[in-house]
Amino acid sequence: MSLWGLLGFQWRRNRLPLLPMAVGLGLFQAILSRMAPVPNESSWMSAILAAVPPQLVALTGSDIAAVATTRGFLAIGYGHPIFLLLLGLWAVRVSSGALAGEIGRGTMDMIASRPVPRWHQVAAAFLVIVAGLVVLCAAAWGATTLGASVRSLGVAATAFLPIAGMGLLLFAAWGAVGLLVSATRRDGGSAIAWTSALMSFSFALDYLARLWQPIAALRAFSLFRYYEPTRILREGLNGTEMLVLGSVTAAALLAALVVFQRRDL
Amino acid sequence: MSAAAIETSGLGKRFGGVTALEGLSLQVEEGEVFGFLGPNGAGKTTTIRLLLGFLRPSGGSARLLGRPVAHGAVGVHADLGYLPGETRLWPQLHGRQVLDLLARLSKRAPTERAGLLERLTLGDEVLARPVGTYSDGMRQKLAIVQALQCAPRLALLDEPTKGLDPLVQQAFYAILADARARGTTIFLSSHILPEVERVCDRVAMLRAGKLVSVGDVAALTRAARRRVVVEFRDDVDAAHLAGFGEVTSAEPRRVVLMVSREKLPALVARLGMMPLADLLVEQPSLEETFLEQYR
Repeated sequence: MSLWGLLGFQWRRNRLPLLPMAVGLGLFQAILSRMAPVPNESSWMSAILAAVPPQLVALTGSDIAAVATTRGFLAIGYGHPIFLLLLGLWAVRVSSGALAGEIGRGTMDMIASRPVPRWHQVAAAFLVIVAGLVVLCAAAWGATTLGASVRSLGVAATAFLPIAGMGLLLFAAWGAVGLLVSATRRDGGSAIAWTSALMSFSFALDYLARLWQPIAALRAFSLFRYYEPTRILREGLNGTEMLVLGSVTAAALLAALVVFQRRDL
Repeated sequence: MSAAAIETSGLGKRFGGVTALEGLSLQVEEGEVFGFLGPNGAGKTTTIRLLLGFLRPSGGSARLLGRPVAHGAVGVHADLGYLPGETRLWPQLHGRQVLDLLARLSKRAPTERAGLLERLTLGDEVLARPVGTYSDGMRQKLAIVQALQCAPRLALLDEPTKGLDPLVQQAFYAILADARARGTTIFLSSHILPEVERVCDRVAMLRAGKLVSVGDVAALTRAARRRVVVEFRDDVDAAHLAGFGEVTSAEPRRVVLMVSREKLPALVARLGMMPLADLLVEQPSLEETFLEQYR
């Protein structure tokens, strides 16, 4: 009962910013659908993209050959910094606000003095993170589907579902990491700072390792390494990558539960 | 025989090198209104947080309503009401949403809510507003309601009248009396000594993390030194009375002393041999007793 109570409470507290985020993400994907080249425009698009610095294309997690196709262009939206930023923002916001945020605001005493096991607080926050990610990914995929069908781009929208699913898995892992950080901090601000720093470092590591061969092996240590939209589109889901993200999520959640259970409030 | 509502044995808490609480052994019976006194930093809030399982004790143990308190365990919390010393609520939630949320998390029906809201004059219009728009006093009233709305068996109240005007304080005392009549045990931490003297059966005094004294209010004040005011017809030397107690004020014809109960008969006998004009022996208030403990 307390889990449902907390779940409803966390959802009500966070749902307001979720709406503009979902609308924004949907608009972004719709714009990309509007710009996507139809099959007979691919060579023209290749010519334009050839002029774009490869470092910029790498920011989207793709390569020029993939981006020049209709499907590849639409997949940009799922690896674009805007998509990553919005999903990351949600994961950081909820994870930091739920534990460290409540302690920092002094409202944790009100919850902790009730018969609410501490693991309920961690679980409720994680479920809200996942629910929000489902909404955001559904908004992105819904806009891609709508855009592709309106312009008759001739691509199957279901091809983008595994990408959206992997994006959800990636940020569920970041949500769990955020909860672990939050479980160790005494205020929401420092939890936001630490989780954002970790996420930014991980993103930068993945980006630089893709561009600079000497540190290519370090990519394995970045969670963003396990989410490559154009490759998922080309090769389908990779079981090992899913396992890595799932394991990180489970380990971080477990650690958050243990740390939060043992700490002084 | 029913178990004690609160029982601590050698309870202690250290924060790094700082000892916040040391060896607290205390028993509060069910149905009792128990006052917990001490200056800032004495360890009152630390004690309450240890009882709630918010903090891991450095030593000792505690039991609430017969059940052992374990760090992070919440089994007993369904029977508790808690009012923190610093009232922090979610500013964006409406007053009624706060009460509903906390009642739901308490897993008990808020049977006392309507009566509490009426006594503390928190109307529907106020409850429909976000808590962020409340004054300190209104927020404190809402915090009192959330602590007592589910008729807890044990209420832990940390500075409950902070920010309340005198009229609301009177209403709060009446609420405490009713809760007590229903059998609720009340553990009340306060700086306001007349308040403790008025509502509590027993008090404990804490100083620098250690229990200084515990007992019923009357016994504590009875055991304290008396204030004796003596007036003489002629000039006297106050040094003649110094052996009976502490001379706090000495004028040629008026002397004020603090004297223990045991030395009172000898003092009176000595005064009989002096040009006595008037004699006043005052039993100290709890406040004076408290201050003497901390002098």
